Amino acid sequence: MKKQKIEDIFSSMENFSSVPPPELWAQIEEKLEKPKKKKRAILWWSAAACLLLGLMLNSIFHLNNTSGIKNINSNSLENNSVVLDSKKNNLEKNSTISTKENDNTLKSDPNIIVESPNELADSSDDQNQLENSNKSSKNKSNKSILDPKSNAVNKNQAVAEKTFISDDKNALNTDTKYQNLKDKKANSNKAVADHQFAPAKENLIKNASNNEDSKNSKNRTVNQAVAEKSFVPAKENLFNTDSKNQTATGKNRTVNQTVAEKSFVPTKENLFNTDSNNQTATGKNRTVNQTVAEKSFVPAKENSFTIDSKNQTATGKNRTVNQTVAEKSFVPAKENLFNTDSNNQTATGKNRTVNQTVAEKSFVPAKENLFNTDSKNQIANNKTKKTNQALAEQKISFGKQDQFNSPKKQLSNSIFDEQLLSKNNKNTAFNTTNPVLNGAENTVSESKTTQKSKNTADEKFIASTQKDNSKFNNAVLSKKDSVQLAELQNLEKGIIVPETKEEKETKAVKKGEKWAVAVFAGIANSENYKNEKTLGNVNDSKQTSTYGVKTKYKINKRWAVASGFKINELGQSVANVSYMSAKNNVFFTIGDNYAAQNLAAAPIATDSNYLLIPANTKEAVSSSNIQTGNLDQSLRYIEMPLEVSYSVFNKNKASINLNTGGFVGKLISNQVILDGTSLGQNVNANDYVYGSTLSSTLQYQVYKKTNVFVEPAVNYYINPLNSQSFNQFQWGLNFGLNVSF
Amino acid sequence: MKNDLEKYIKLCIKNDREGQLKIYQLFSPVLYGICLKYMKNEDDAKDVFQEAFVIVFQKISQYKFEGSFEGWLKRIFINKLIETLNKKKKESFFLDVFDPDTDFVEEEELDIIPIEQEKLLEYIRDLPDQYRTVFNLYVFEKLKHKEIAELLKISEGTSKSNLNRAKHILQKKILSIKNFKTA
Repeated sequence: MKKQKIEDIFSSMENFSSVPPPELWAQIEEKLEKPKKKKRAILWWSAAACLLLGLMLNSIFHLNNTSGIKNINSNSLENNSVVLDSKKNNLEKNSTISTKENDNTLKSDPNIIVESPNELADSSDDQNQLENSNKSSKNKSNKSILDPKSNAVNKNQAVAEKTFISDDKNALNTDTKYQNLKDKKANSNKAVADHQFAPAKENLIKNASNNEDSKNSKNRTVNQAVAEKSFVPAKENLFNTDSKNQTATGKNRTVNQTVAEKSFVPTKENLFNTDSNNQTATGKNRTVNQTVAEKSFVPAKENSFTIDSKNQTATGKNRTVNQTVAEKSFVPAKENLFNTDSNNQTATGKNRTVNQTVAEKSFVPAKENLFNTDSKNQIANNKTKKTNQALAEQKISFGKQDQFNSPKKQLSNSIFDEQLLSKNNKNTAFNTTNPVLNGAENTVSESKTTQKSKNTADEKFIASTQKDNSKFNNAVLSKKDSVQLAELQNLEKGIIVPETKEEKETKAVKKGEKWAVAVFAGIANSENYKNEKTLGNVNDSKQTSTYGVKTKYKINKRWAVASGFKINELGQSVANVSYMSAKNNVFFTIGDNYAAQNLAAAPIATDSNYLLIPANTKEAVSSSNIQTGNLDQSLRYIEMPLEVSYSVFNKNKASINLNTGGFVGKLISNQVILDGTSLGQNVNANDYVYGSTLSSTLQYQVYKKTNVFVEPAVNYYINPLNSQSFNQFQWGLNFGLNVSF
Repeated sequence: MKNDLEKYIKLCIKNDREGQLKIYQLFSPVLYGICLKYMKNEDDAKDVFQEAFVIVFQKISQYKFEGSFEGWLKRIFINKLIETLNKKKKESFFLDVFDPDTDFVEEEELDIIPIEQEKLLEYIRDLPDQYRTVFNLYVFEKLKHKEIAELLKISEGTSKSNLNRAKHILQKKILSIKNFKTA
């Protein structure tokens, strides 16, 4: 007896596959929907939080600064009475404006409240609609008409659109019993289920009609059962179209159609039945039975397409067309049955029967795929043309056997048992038989079998690898299984080759998102670290706001370059600045004029109505017109930085980068304010500034490619003013969102 | 077939449900089979299968159409399975130290007897978690002990010992069948 190792025994399990329970797909679908909403919410909330934080910090620091200035002002309250009055007026105005705004908001609130009941009302309407739709789906329309004469039109229609039934049955029934003695008759039954979802039990679409035409004339019956996108996870999906026609004379045309488009029945069975019993004494009889299942998915058990027709025609033309079409059907577990049966008994006259079973792109991994086309014909005499056809195009059968049966009673049977060697075989079993006249026997039979095998080279390769791998497999596995095994092993070979670290790194750079765009806002504080003085007074720090956009390009895993645009403000405030207002020059004394001409500092601002007096010469001026105030200066720039970034930490979702670089700024706003009164622009400001920056970005990934970040930074401005000292250092704290792509 | 697969992957990248269903239909049997091999009970296998498929659809844009798609899927599944098993690590018994005296036993060769896949699966699933994981990675994924050790964050010796023990347990079970059949 041959020996083998444990690995060899278990190697048959290497490509072990098992069909997952059908409810898993629904659960996966559900899970795929959830994170979208959740992550979108996180994204919005984090963006909102960033902005709020940025604004709050800004306002807090701003308020702290202004309160400090007020304390200094209190020293010269008496002298500044005029200015304070105007401030009060401003305050009053502000307060009235704010109250008006509050009123408006209050008024607008009720509107919101008023609107909400409407929404509630709407939603209740929706519920009603749902209820209605459920009711309508359970509708059963039965009509029984007894017409002695003349034209009769009978239309029964049961329509269920987008129904959702979780509990028991979803039944669409359209029944008609019709007894017509004479004349024309058109009878159409239609059951339509569109976007139907019935998770629990069964989905029945039945179309039944019993027609008895004792005499004469045309008879047309159209039965149609249509189910589009029906989803029945639990039990069974039945599409039945039955009709019984008894016509003594005259034309009789019966069209039975069962159409299921995109039907999904994971658990048990999917049945498409189209039955018709026709008994026609004389005259033309045309019966078309059609079962069409497009994109049907039945993972668990069986998918059967059955068309039965029994025709008994005494004389006259008889044409029967039976068609079973299954396009893109997927039946992983057990069996896929295509049955087209017809029993025809024709005494005389032309008889043409076409049975067709077509399965396009059917996928049956587990067990068997059966195509049966049976017909029993008993023809007394006359012309008979009969075509039986079973076609399977692009069929994939992993499991066991594939049978094409086209048996006929009194005919030679043709059975093609296929054992597929590769997935890509196109198999066509095509039987054409032309039975000839007289009695019960058909004498001529032709069988054509065409097999096209693509990828012969692949098969050879598989065969060779199979030799290597099948030392022991044959004992456990069948030949066919081992071919699949070899094929899958080849697929896997390229997979589990471990990547080297270098490859991993280069791949990471290749695959990683190279570009990133960031939006940010924050606060900046201009500082005086050199103890610079303006007019003899020390320059104080000033709080400003900053915002901008930045793009980043990753050169490799660690290094990146970044550039963008930023609106930034550099500022300073100088306390206890002595000045004389020239607006009050009517009160100027001779001493004041002397001071104005000789002791005043070189003008800083464009407004010449105010004379700023340096601290060291203040004592020399003995005038009651000298006031002391707070001088605020701000220079707003649009800056374009160019930074180099280095990633010092990058793990999971968090990363820390160090950035350094330079920037160039264009002056866009320039203001000098003395105790709340604008003195115009600073005459010494340079239009263009240059500087360097150093920052650190602490980043956290909140969504796929979206990160939030905090960025503490320090900037140094080289030349904000050309002949006046100014704060050149600036601390900043930015908050922002970063999207990489 | 290959073009169809690419088409479905592109549909999945666009988050198209039909494309996702196609991919699911094509690969779910193989991937579910893997989950069954790695997890002790079917409920756990189902959970991991679902979660891994969700990850697949979320990260499918990262697949660059280089190499086998099935291989890419399998990698995601195996990583997810290992992650899940690592989380469960505390609950189960592990052998962390390799003892050459007790663990290294000369492997016996067995007579060829046909055994059904379902039976073999049952034997694999009966193994303790880490033995099973090491056995799966070594026998089916063809990983080396060094790679298994890195993946499971264990020593190379532990990996060898676990594999040996797993083989020993399986050997016993197969011998018991043989004895049963001959009796």
